[in-house]
Amino acid sequence: MNGSSPTEPLDQETTPEALIERFGRDLVNDFDLDDPVFNDRFDETLNFMAHKCPVVHSKVGKGYYMINTQDDVRAAAQDWQTFSSAKGYMPNRPDGLPYLMPEESDPPIHTRWRRVLNPHLSPKVCAGYEQVVRDDANALIDKFIDRGECEFISEFGALLPGWAFFKNVLGLPIDDLAMLVNGVEEGTFALDLAERARNFGEVFEYLDKHLQWRSTQPQRGDLIDTILAGVTYDDGTESPWEHKVSILVDLTFGGIATTTFVMGSAIHHLATNPDQRQLLIDNPELVENAIEEYARFFPPVVALGRTATADVEVAGTSIKEGEFVMLTYACASRDPRHMDEPEKIDLSREGIPHSTFGVGPHRCIGSNLARIELIATLEEWLKRIPEYRVKPGGEPTYVTGFLRSMRTLQLEW
Amino acid sequence: MKVYIDEEKCTGHGRCAKYAPNVFRLNDEDGYNADAGKTIDVPVGEERNAALGMKSCPERAISVVED
Ligand code: HEM
Ligand code: SF4
Repeated sequence: MNGSSPTEPLDQETTPEALIERFGRDLVNDFDLDDPVFNDRFDETLNFMAHKCPVVHSKVGKGYYMINTQDDVRAAAQDWQTFSSAKGYMPNRPDGLPYLMPEESDPPIHTRWRRVLNPHLSPKVCAGYEQVVRDDANALIDKFIDRGECEFISEFGALLPGWAFFKNVLGLPIDDLAMLVNGVEEGTFALDLAERARNFGEVFEYLDKHLQWRSTQPQRGDLIDTILAGVTYDDGTESPWEHKVSILVDLTFGGIATTTFVMGSAIHHLATNPDQRQLLIDNPELVENAIEEYARFFPPVVALGRTATADVEVAGTSIKEGEFVMLTYACASRDPRHMDEPEKIDLSREGIPHSTFGVGPHRCIGSNLARIELIATLEEWLKRIPEYRVKPGGEPTYVTGFLRSMRTLQLEW
Repeated sequence: MKVYIDEEKCTGHGRCAKYAPNVFRLNDEDGYNADAGKTIDVPVGEERNAALGMKSCPERAISVVED
């Protein structure tokens, strides 16, 4: 379902029996991010947890907790000493996978890297990419507009973020993008964990080679040169080569595995809600706010993990040192304690307190770029294709784990 | 009205300046609140925008200071 459907009852029981009857499993004591039911009933599950379940537990693999309220997510995300990123962000991490900087590190190592990387993706620098992102959006639309239909994800949504980051920010050839996009997708969602690791490996290898090549080229003063220059850690050591490669891998994952879902969901919502489409066409100044509401409601990062470094209690649940904890940003963004009717999409909502780009020191470094991509998409699309709809039988398909993505969406006009 | 921007909490979401550009300024270089660590005056007439900016800050980094 999506936000336009009638809201499901929220006043329901959280007893194991009631949950099993409703969701096919006991969400509170036996959650599973990879369960197909979560993918199919995503909104319903999030809304339910946001109202009823401050903390849930999963028995999958080594097990993990999920923290679901906005206040608890914020407190844990800001308390990086107790909720460490250094043991990785994914639950049941495949063995042998190298850690990704800066995401899978804590201050002060994390701070060293963010300080040098932030200036390359600041609001000011990203504003400089706006025109070329708009031109790219139009170049993609040019390819299918006369056909009267498109498959939005493969022809637009999966491409624009890649172009924005690889072509515009990194200056990489877009010919290699398909392989990278596929590697990131399969590395994240492949059901077989060994398959995930193999795909990650390919992405690592490609980006390692690119960094090596750039290190032989004249400097350009860009993001890649900043990564190559590296940082000095507090113990006086220089950041090793593997850390540099992992920075580029992490940026790549973030750059292409996320924005597509907000884009596809926004375009789908506008396809199925002509009045909302007209609202944005008549009031283009609302687009920026609409993007925040879409980001709130369609979170590509469902939850990211931390490892407890001490015994703690969260909303009455005790979590032991060493246990894995997911911060459910997707639930925090629907917390009824912080907004009215969180289960509804309201493009005119004022002051949207969402957590879609994360909270705390790991705040999404690409958030400024992602916002520009999203604004450019809605504005250019509505200018070129103001009247469009979902092609019969072409309803969106999704895949969900700790990330959520849209796989297909057929449109016609 | 005066507000305080907590330097420990600000992580550069930039929402404050989006909603209240006449109250909050971002540092050009990294996009964090340029007045992080300080208490600043909210110009008269800007209270509503400032409140929206505060509400949209995912870190709850901005708080009203009682005179
Ligand atoms: C709508 C699009 C996006 C969403 C929803 C999103 C979401 C997030 C979230 C929730 C985090 C926090 C991680 C944590 O708490 O551990 C994060 C971190 C990150 N994102 Fe994004 N992201 C998006 C787009 C991008 C883009 C376009 C890039 C790259 C250009 C990017 C690169 C990163 C990186 C490198 C980090 C790690 C930052 C750190 O650990 O310091 N993201 N993102
Ligand atoms: S919205 Fe909050 S975190 Fe973001 S720049 Fe402003 S004060 Fe800092």
